[in-house]
Amino acid sequence: MIISYVVTTACIDCKYENCFEVCPVDCFYEAANMIVINTEECIDCGVCEPECPVDVIKPDMIDVAGMWIALNQKFAEQWLDICQKGDPPADVDELGQKTDKLALLAEAPA
Amino acid sequence: MPLDTSKGDHDYPIPAGVFAETVTSVDHYTDRLFKFRITRPASFRFRSGEFVMIGLPNAEKPVFRAYSIASPSWDEELEFYSIKVPDGPLTEHLQKIKVGDTVLMRKKPTGTLVNDALLPGKRLWMFSTGTGIAPFASLFRDPETYEKFDEVVLTQTCREVAELRYGQDLVAELKDDPLVGEFAHGLRHYCTVTREDYRFQGRITDLMSSGKVFDDLGLPLITPDTDRGMICGSMDMLRDTKAMLEQFGLIEGANNRPDTFVVERAFVD
Repeated sequence: MIISYVVTTACIDCKYENCFEVCPVDCFYEAANMIVINTEECIDCGVCEPECPVDVIKPDMIDVAGMWIALNQKFAEQWLDICQKGDPPADVDELGQKTDKLALLAEAPA
Repeated sequence: MPLDTSKGDHDYPIPAGVFAETVTSVDHYTDRLFKFRITRPASFRFRSGEFVMIGLPNAEKPVFRAYSIASPSWDEELEFYSIKVPDGPLTEHLQKIKVGDTVLMRKKPTGTLVNDALLPGKRLWMFSTGTGIAPFASLFRDPETYEKFDEVVLTQTCREVAELRYGQDLVAELKDDPLVGEFAHGLRHYCTVTREDYRFQGRITDLMSSGKVFDDLGLPLITPDTDRGMICGSMDMLRDTKAMLEQFGLIEGANNRPDTFVVERAFVD
């Protein structure tokens, strides 16, 4: 049973920012180079999942979601609620394809 | 914040970012299903097929649940179609509402079951089970749906015949509606029941794989050349129906990248 959705690796340094616009409960929080979901506020409606062009949002019941549930919740509590869509970086398409970006995650709030 | 003192157990402040609207009608269909209509805030705009978060002013931090708006975008009121869950945090109380009561609604409508998320096509298939018919009740009463598609086929599957009533009443009323009645000829309504005798029985996915639904309606098999799909029901029904549409060659779309079918779970609580 899905309890929440989570944002995963490919968002780091990418941030298309299509996701939070469709969220009915405004549970997306952002920092310098990533967006996360507050897993306690998420109502798992699933509307955000197909909106991300790079497919980084996953339901929490899949295997790879494990560590991302804790990471999403931890940073959602520290970062700011995202409500204004900014411009994604110029090389967003290329950045979205890169894997293994966890080391690049900037943890400080924006 | 305004204090709502209209009811003894509802004197909590209305949360910020939330509309407080008034119930204008309530109709119970079975011991599990009911419909209610509320006033519509002047500034509130939405696309037919979207949902909102609904709650009651009965706590400091009220419980909100997602409800598809069952009325079309042009309606002056808002309609919702709900299940009744005996100990459900919201519906335990929501099922008791009366005309004049206050209902809370968060301001942001959203959803995937919208005409914008589909590429143009000849025929729109709407697959629903139970209260999953609600977003389609909005879409099939919206002239925009008939501008986009020549034919609209609504499939409604419930456990029992009595549960089909909401959809059947709406389709019958549609034909006489002064605003949208002329479009009604584009709508086909295919009802099936899974637990009782009825002229059409079984799960819609079984009826598609056997071909019976196409035979019954006199329609060709679904193809991405002409057909588009919207699915709203339980998680199991979504999974199975999505797999069936993908077998027919359709691809899942979204608001920012329209394609040939879209999916949304029917919210139950």
